[in-house]
Amino acid sequence: MYSKQTILKNLTGLHARPASEFVACAKSFESKVTVRRLDVEGAPEANAKSIIKILAQGLSVNTPIEISADGPDEQAAVEKLVELVDSKFGEE
Amino acid sequence: MRILKGNPVSRGIALAKGYIYRAFKADVHESYFEAGQEAVKYKQFTDAVAAAEAELNAIVASLSAESPEKAKIFTAHIEILKDEEVAEEVKDMIFSRRAMPDYAVDKVFSEFALLLEKAKDPLIAARSADLRDVRNRVLRILKGEKEQNLANLREKVVVVAHDLLPSDTATLDRAHVMGIITEVGGATSHTAILARSYKIPAVLGVPEATEIVKNGDMVILDAIKGEVLLEPDRTTIAEYEIKLEEFLKSEKQSAEFLNRIPLVASGERFSVGLNIGTTEPDEGFKYVDFVGLFRTEFVYMESEHMPTEDEQFAAYRKVLANAKGIPVTLRTLDIGGDKSLRYLALPKEDNPFLGNRALRLCLDMPEMFKTQLRAALRASAFGPMQIMFPMVGTMDDIRAGNAAVEEAKAELRAEGIPFDEKINIGIMIEIPSIAMIADMAAKETDFASVGTNDLTQYLHAVDRMNPKLTNYYQSSSPAMFRILGRIFKEYNEAGKPISVCGELAGDPLAAIVLFGLGLRKFSMNASNIPHVKRTLSLFTLAETEQIAKKVQNLSTEAEVITYLKAEVAKREQKPTATTTK
Repeated sequence: MYSKQTILKNLTGLHARPASEFVACAKSFESKVTVRRLDVEGAPEANAKSIIKILAQGLSVNTPIEISADGPDEQAAVEKLVELVDSKFGEE
Repeated sequence: MRILKGNPVSRGIALAKGYIYRAFKADVHESYFEAGQEAVKYKQFTDAVAAAEAELNAIVASLSAESPEKAKIFTAHIEILKDEEVAEEVKDMIFSRRAMPDYAVDKVFSEFALLLEKAKDPLIAARSADLRDVRNRVLRILKGEKEQNLANLREKVVVVAHDLLPSDTATLDRAHVMGIITEVGGATSHTAILARSYKIPAVLGVPEATEIVKNGDMVILDAIKGEVLLEPDRTTIAEYEIKLEEFLKSEKQSAEFLNRIPLVASGERFSVGLNIGTTEPDEGFKYVDFVGLFRTEFVYMESEHMPTEDEQFAAYRKVLANAKGIPVTLRTLDIGGDKSLRYLALPKEDNPFLGNRALRLCLDMPEMFKTQLRAALRASAFGPMQIMFPMVGTMDDIRAGNAAVEEAKAELRAEGIPFDEKINIGIMIEIPSIAMIADMAAKETDFASVGTNDLTQYLHAVDRMNPKLTNYYQSSSPAMFRILGRIFKEYNEAGKPISVCGELAGDPLAAIVLFGLGLRKFSMNASNIPHVKRTLSLFTLAETEQIAKKVQNLSTEAEVITYLKAEVAKREQKPTATTTK
């Protein structure tokens, strides 16, 4: 199990294209990957490989999140996804 | 040969194969299978998903080149189809509960759609419509029914449907749809308006057309007489091939009037405007003085989600760029009634045309309204534009609409975002209650435009979607001309611009009366421009005034039309002035 925290900085948050890219990236790893928002008490862990579950979280700009992975490539998965989030998905 | 009758709403002739278009209706019941069949049932599901993905890939491939925006809708569908959690839950229902695949698919997709609907962000809630779309695709494949959509057809066809939803027409394959036949809908339904603007011949209100016409059979569509000819013999086909040629020729002839300066015979000038409903360039821009109606619904309908402020801003700027400096009247969102959005679930209403639609809905959803107003105001910095509210019934409506604009303006000012500070704000007059107090409305609005389609519907208490009531829908009735005369008089006296952007402005016969009643701004679809210019060029101002007086005292619409036709016929032989622009 490997986790890292970050903050969504792109304007659209995890909606539309950024959400699609995020899920596609998560799917490229073998590990189980989840996302959890940190600003809501007891927020559930959402499967990062499910576009619907990710969208349902309503993760907008400035939301603090934790990305966790469990499996053979857990560290690579988390690092790559955090990098993608921090790149603002190429916005601006 | 068999002849079906209907309402010709978009003139023209088409000869092509009939294409029956039926929107798939899912009919799923809770059901389970016997133990031991798990693997077989699960394979049915995975096969259906694979088939659905193949269909979607084919649609994306065919749309990518010409309409990447439409292709995106279907790319998003592939993503949903391949959602890991959905697949897991369906699998679980099949293996541990022995649920039939269609029941499992329906249940899981519906639950996920509900989950999204609950999201606070309307952009996300909107995606639930996509989930339902994907669910229907998988259910249809499980049932073994073939795919149907109007976005990519293989050959030229005449589409036959019960009704076409705006979402069907938004993705319509214009190169292959030669004609449209529907079982319901009148001259001012969404399908009719769209057919006219795309210049696709259409006959609507043909009862049981989808049952009677056979898929792939030759159909002759006579959208001049309002007839559908089935199993035509060789002679009839030959006859119609000639008619089609003649029709195209006469269209070309009246096109010569396109470029004329719009003048009546005594030399008074009137203005011709254009009604538009897309951000595509329209050849009509070249021949008009203004855009009297820009319907913004299409920005919403062609999107897969509630369009953002930036998306709307870009679309409105595009329209202003197309208009090349002629003023554009942007009408704020007019949905409800016969128009809905795929991503915005609105409650079913018993009387949608009397319901929570247009401005009422916008006032009810202030955030959505403000997004549009901000986008429109921002666009106003880039070209002459005015904003108009649909479905205004009272002074309260005018004040609430104006207040919303002021609020959006204040925000933009505070943010230092430029917009036209002197932008004109006006209203559609389509509800009799506001027509009756047009004098007061004129004081609190910068301009008004009459929507004669809805005004007819509300004045005559006729559902314009009901084919049985076509005869009751009388937009050229003496009552209509009396109320129109009153509206024009009040606005003209107040010195505020008044125009008509409903279908009546593009009707050459009615235009004579409207001119006589004091109207000088006629906004219409590009296809009507030459006809209106030509007809009005036959009459002097005094004659139109006399005619306007006369028709208000005829007793029926039929008398009005007979009288106007005779007046035109009297003058048609005489040569007309040939001023060119």
